[in-house]
Amino acid sequence: MANGLAIEAKGLFKSFDGKEAVRGIDLQVPEGSIYGILGPNGAGKTTTLRMLLGIIEPDAGRRTLLGHADPIQAAGIVGYLPEERGLYPAMHCRDAIAFMGALRGFPLDAGRRRAEILLRDNGLADYVAKPIKSLSKGMSQTVQLLGTIVHRPKLIVLDEPFSGLDAMNQGRLEHLIREEAAAGATVIFSTHVIAHAERLCERIAIIAGGRVRFEGSVAEARDRLRPQVRLRTRAADGSWRSSLPAAAAQQDGVWHFELPKAGIEPLLKALIDGGAGIEELSIERPGLHDAFVAIAGEEAARELAESEQADMGAAA
Amino acid sequence: MNNLLRSAWVIGRRDFIATVFSRTFILFLLAPLVIFGFSMAAGLSAGKAGREASRPTVAVIADGATVQALADARARLVAGTSERTIPALRPVEPTGQVEAQARRLLADEEAPLSAVVTGTIARPVVIAPEAADADLGNRLRLLIEEARRSAALEAAGIRTPPAAPQRVVTESAAGDLRSLRSGLAQASQMLIFMITLMLATLLLSNLVEEKSNKVIEVLAAAVPLDAIFLGKLIAMLFISVVGLATWAGMLGIAYLFVQTLQSWLVVPPFAPAVGWPAFVLLLILYYTTNYMLLGALFLGIGGQASNIREIQTLSMPITFLQLGVLLLAMNTVGSPATTLAWTAYIVPFSSPLSMVALAAEQPTLWPHFAALAWQALWVVLIIRLSAALFRRTVLKSGSRQDFWKMLTARG
Repeated sequence: MANGLAIEAKGLFKSFDGKEAVRGIDLQVPEGSIYGILGPNGAGKTTTLRMLLGIIEPDAGRRTLLGHADPIQAAGIVGYLPEERGLYPAMHCRDAIAFMGALRGFPLDAGRRRAEILLRDNGLADYVAKPIKSLSKGMSQTVQLLGTIVHRPKLIVLDEPFSGLDAMNQGRLEHLIREEAAAGATVIFSTHVIAHAERLCERIAIIAGGRVRFEGSVAEARDRLRPQVRLRTRAADGSWRSSLPAAAAQQDGVWHFELPKAGIEPLLKALIDGGAGIEELSIERPGLHDAFVAIAGEEAARELAESEQADMGAAA
Repeated sequence: MNNLLRSAWVIGRRDFIATVFSRTFILFLLAPLVIFGFSMAAGLSAGKAGREASRPTVAVIADGATVQALADARARLVAGTSERTIPALRPVEPTGQVEAQARRLLADEEAPLSAVVTGTIARPVVIAPEAADADLGNRLRLLIEEARRSAALEAAGIRTPPAAPQRVVTESAAGDLRSLRSGLAQASQMLIFMITLMLATLLLSNLVEEKSNKVIEVLAAAVPLDAIFLGKLIAMLFISVVGLATWAGMLGIAYLFVQTLQSWLVVPPFAPAVGWPAFVLLLILYYTTNYMLLGALFLGIGGQASNIREIQTLSMPITFLQLGVLLLAMNTVGSPATTLAWTAYIVPFSSPLSMVALAAEQPTLWPHFAALAWQALWVVLIIRLSAALFRRTVLKSGSRQDFWKMLTARG
């Protein structure tokens, strides 16, 4: 990990039955960062994560996980929450967490002790010695998440960790992710919810159609778009009109256009001199959503919105 | 390697605890008792009915002296062999035309007769369907000849006193030893076979649990697949050992109980060819390799199935496979050097069963080292193959394509 990267992937390819799921993905996840993989359902997020973890082998390309070319070699310092959650229903919460730790080489006794503490800290003190099957879906998801971090992994991989959680548990999870990152762990998670990526991640990769459309910081993604200007004037027309950018469009009496390269001042002067009568003028930094539309295209953005709705429908 | 064993231990430990400390395990422990009880009951009733149905009865339509002579001859022959060797005789009073009477008797379903003997010892007549000539006919001839001989000897005034040979008692006879040893060989094969048969469904359905509750993803991300398979196999091995120990304990108690009641029930003093200590060790080792070989195969096949229904469909051909292996191995008992026997030693699945028979019958030890190494090699191979197949067909969950669909799609 001389290069300071927890994960490095180059040119990952994977197809299932001739259908390409991942078409050449490059990723660089810096150590100690919170990294988001953003994309609609079916974009190839899970396949990418599974290849990174060595659950499946890529058809082409290579990846390094915490410096190991063979991901299973790093298993002891990696935690993974799969998209399809799974625990043995008859196991007690404490044992389930300790078992997941033991799979990663964490001693069973220490795992049990740490499981009790983790359960207590996460409001599940009453369920330490209760079987998983007696838990609600959200609770068992929390238990699995605790099992993912019980062995204090250096890299935590979470596949759609927020899906299926209510607002309170989502908040709790965000807190936990920040805590683990603060303690020095690298956290990488996939999501189709822009807000989660925007709130938590230092860096993101936008994946659509099996390709990385963007990789970098959230700020960089936003900087892909010029700030947006909204302008409403009293006068409908005048000499000032010629100073507006050619691409400016009027909608319900409001002009929308990108901030010109020269800045707002020349335009402002022209508006005042031309007596346009400024009623409303705002310069907005584009959100990640707009950046996503610009980067991945309208179609991917629509798929993302559909994924989000499907998830909300499933949670309801 | 170390990591593989450690991971296998974690997986195996979980499986072992989850199985042994479950309520259903008691049912598993009781299963042999139930099977044993049922087969005893079935054996008892079927045996009684079977013995009566299978012994042919022959009607004798003749004068008193002939009937008596035949009955005496039968008594002598039966005394030297068994009740079942010579057909039972039923004297019938002649009523008018003998052949017509015989036909009536043979047609009577209430009587059930296989043949009718009439005439005299000097001029006997057998009235029976053609089929009676082969087996029943021979025995009837033997019976009539015995009656004739004894009548002839009596007529000549020659008395033949019953033979009472002088006895010299030796240690043991090689001939007896051979039959005892082949008995032991067969019993050992059956023991190993039965237990593996009982475990087959458990092994087949083993991975369905992880697949249906999605734990497989957690396992596959954390440990090598080989370790999952190995851990599961070893867990099942120890589960079977718990079962075996329980059953052996029950048998031991039953044996002691019977011993106290009937002190005559003693096992004949003999030893298998390699001696008891080596034999017991080899029996345990071959049980393990047999279990591991078939277990790895079943685990691998079962891993490809996605639900219990597929497992149920699979278990029938699997049982036949096991039976085939048993038959192949049984062929080696008593004839250890034939081509078929060599096939049984070399085919990995029949190797443990046939080698345990060899241990009972032949004293050479080195073939066992070779066989055990050969079998262990195959266990490793099958585990690796199963894991590779599992990775290829099951873990690529994105495509939802499994092995069976792949097969049917190509077919």
